[in-house]
Amino acid sequence: MELIEHPPILHIAAIPDHILYTWIAMAILVGVAFAASRRVQLVPTGSQNFMEIVLEQFVKELDETIGHGGRRYLPLIATLGLFILVSNLMGLVPGLVAPTANLNTTAACALIVFVTYHVIGVRKQGFVPYLKHFAGPVPTMLKPLMFIIEIISHCARPLSLSLRLFGNMMAGHILIAIFFFMMGFDGMLGWALRGSIAGIVIGAPAALIMVVFVVGFLFPLKILVAFIQTFIFCKLAMLYIAAAVEEAEHH
Amino acid sequence: MQRIVTMSMMAILAVPGMAWAGGAAGGADLAKAFAVLAAGLCGLGQGRAAGQAVDAMARQPGAIARIQTAMLLGLAFIESLVLFVFVIAVILLFVKS
Repeated sequence: MELIEHPPILHIAAIPDHILYTWIAMAILVGVAFAASRRVQLVPTGSQNFMEIVLEQFVKELDETIGHGGRRYLPLIATLGLFILVSNLMGLVPGLVAPTANLNTTAACALIVFVTYHVIGVRKQGFVPYLKHFAGPVPTMLKPLMFIIEIISHCARPLSLSLRLFGNMMAGHILIAIFFFMMGFDGMLGWALRGSIAGIVIGAPAALIMVVFVVGFLFPLKILVAFIQTFIFCKLAMLYIAAAVEEAEHH
Repeated sequence: MQRIVTMSMMAILAVPGMAWAGGAAGGADLAKAFAVLAAGLCGLGQGRAAGQAVDAMARQPGAIARIQTAMLLGLAFIESLVLFVFVIAVILLFVKS
């Protein structure tokens, strides 16, 4: 791992990389939010327009998923979504680290979602009725079994939520690191520069093909993955909240 | 029929990895073998999900947006199982015990 991976540009010895880059992502978000809301106008222009378009996407998804009263959760979902999106996209810039490529960051986000939707469910419904709904609409004999299964499935939610995001970002990170290693001075390009005939004939075109492949295919793929993973994280968070709220309305 | 052929081909492709892992009996080799197997089976599952979704979109162009959302969610769930294997493989490969 240390062989193929270069250290990030900005590195402070006492602070882990993912925390430092989490702060940078936060700084970017705060800066954009400040620029957008400094002079709020009725007819938006510039950065305010941009942020309104971004937030409208979140509002649309919330209306679709949770329905009535869903906009209450806009601050939570939009904050998580924007932070994850900026973090994912930071991983694409060479020399920066994606905070979401570390399990600690994603686990923190997933635990926030986990605690929040339980709190929302309990507040909507009361503690005992909320626990009762874990047992589900099954005959009384089966209720203890269903209850245990539901508890396990609820505990698996933050696990899968965090590991999905972490795994995607980490996999892309390693993939690009390996490709850069293979085409760099230790790989094909180094072979071509060493001056042997075979190196120049095979190494130089291979390095060129790898550059085209990485820039033309891997980077667009990673941008796509960054957006899709953000979407899925937010959508799942909304679905969990919707499930906690819906049960309250049906009974 | 097609599925059986694909599955058996997958199994055949996985055999060298398994045999390799059996010979050395190292955690890293086993991780490689199972990562390959997981990636291939994920391809089967995701291909089926995406194919059915495209089928549904062709039948119901009006519902494309909702089908797309459901498809993305399904793909994410399938993918997350493979990512568990990936995380286990990474741990086995890079964490020195």
